Amino acid sequence: MLPDRPPFEDMYREFLGRIYAYVRSQVGTSADAEDITAQVFMNAYQAYGRFEARNTTPAAWLFRIARNATLDHFRAHGRRERLRRTIEHQPQVEEDPAGEAEDRIRYRALMAKVAQLSERQRDAISLRHSGLSFDEVGKLMDCSEDAAKMLYHRALRALKDAVQREGV
Amino acid sequence: MSEHDEDLELQAVQRQLDDAFQTTRPRRGFEDDLWLRMQASRPATNRLRDAIAGLLQGIREVPAVPAAAIATLLVVVIGVGLLAYSGVGRTRGGGGAALSQTAGGESRGSDLAAGDFGRLPSPVFDDGKQVTVPAMTGSPPQFAWSGGLSVGASTAPVYRYREPSTNVADQFASSLGAVLRERPQGVLGSYSTSTYILNIRPTIQRPVAGPTYFIISSPSMPPVDAAGAGPADVATIFLAQHSLVPDWAYAVKVDAGGDPVKVLYARQFDVPGYGAASLVDPNGDRYGVEVDLKGNRPILVTGMLPVSLDAAGYRIVSPDDAIRPLLSARPTNAASPPPTVQLTQAELVYVLVPAGDHSFYEPAYLFSGKAQINGATVTQRVLVAAVDPSQRTG
Repeated sequence: MLPDRPPFEDMYREFLGRIYAYVRSQVGTSADAEDITAQVFMNAYQAYGRFEARNTTPAAWLFRIARNATLDHFRAHGRRERLRRTIEHQPQVEEDPAGEAEDRIRYRALMAKVAQLSERQRDAISLRHSGLSFDEVGKLMDCSEDAAKMLYHRALRALKDAVQREGV
Repeated sequence: MSEHDEDLELQAVQRQLDDAFQTTRPRRGFEDDLWLRMQASRPATNRLRDAIAGLLQGIREVPAVPAAAIATLLVVVIGVGLLAYSGVGRTRGGGGAALSQTAGGESRGSDLAAGDFGRLPSPVFDDGKQVTVPAMTGSPPQFAWSGGLSVGASTAPVYRYREPSTNVADQFASSLGAVLRERPQGVLGSYSTSTYILNIRPTIQRPVAGPTYFIISSPSMPPVDAAGAGPADVATIFLAQHSLVPDWAYAVKVDAGGDPVKVLYARQFDVPGYGAASLVDPNGDRYGVEVDLKGNRPILVTGMLPVSLDAAGYRIVSPDDAIRPLLSARPTNAASPPPTVQLTQAELVYVLVPAGDHSFYEPAYLFSGKAQINGATVTQRVLVAAVDPSQRTG
């Protein structure tokens, strides 16, 4: 029996936060992350009629759209955006408009460290911690499951070293 | 370093990453805003088709209905649908004013019957706590309170509203001339006019939020004709044109630092002996009605759905008594000295406490201060319930 296609709204409610977190780990500002996330779901909404649950999971389908939208964003904004991302992806203090809780500041600092990894390492970390299996990560990154695991563990070590060196 | 030690460190980083990805979420309201934008992007013919499909589904459940009757009904529905989507036949009733009048009708504290609502549910903030405590790295923080706040009142009004029904939402929409499109799950109603989509949501528990309306403008929404006016004036004109200017007390704040420009009408409750107390969310942020503007064109309005409020007076504790349990709490198993949050300011505020059929706006204290984290000074805020514990459940 073929897997049923979940109602789009269910997918939307289930994945919006995860997709946003993935995109936010890639780009410099929450405003950009919202714009890209909106584009992801607009694209998904329009392409939903072509989504076939027997070929892929909703997560893999949506994260592929998210990854493409993020890459499109970088292509459109080029090096300047990458530089801005590195600079701006820092924990905000004092000016933090919501006076956010410390854990958010700490996690934002950790996300900044993720953003400073190489593109493939960053992708491996972000996709994996967005809840995808190594098999799904590998498929999205055009490599085998084993290669995805290896890439992820290298990225994790690099991240740990950066955290120990510079703190979060 | 041994392999075992490194594995432990890697696992710690993995846990932090899990937490970071699970707590990185878009701003409040983004989910609904985007959903509405997606809905608004659908062609009107699709929306009408869905409405007819829904109707047919209902008719199929009544097998005795003759085919001719179905055909007649369909003609009527399609006709009404076309009229609705073309904007013909929309009316602007006076219901908005009437609803608004009921919305702000909170009583003065001096007129209130004490404790009329019985024991109140306690506010529950993040993680089920009855205070908002900022999470710190490693161990829980210690708090110190060196400020002073004279409230000037030993009782404060508590407000209660009945959870609005779809009828209430429909009346509100009707007062704006909006036509019902559908009732998606978790939404009281989704409506449309020729220039915007209106969505009305009931009270929700997580994140805590009261009944809310969202107006998402379509590209045909005209800019407000007010050359030279500032954002606050433009927003107020727009609200006035739609009978949406709050009739409760508010303070206007303009955030012109981003795009869109945001104009906030932050709701306040009057507390006899104290003055205006702002309504805040679990993060301590003020809210009420917010108008997002691109130039003179409103693109999103997020506001509290007008509901009737009952009021009753309740005994409140002083800020010093309210914060005391937090000050005496001692961190356990702290491997390193916990950070200290030096709270220096406090104000009386109101928070929403959802409680099923009826929900409450209850007084609370919002403390704020500074902490040193990794050499940086960060602002911290803590919310603590103000109603006397003997008058609260839990």
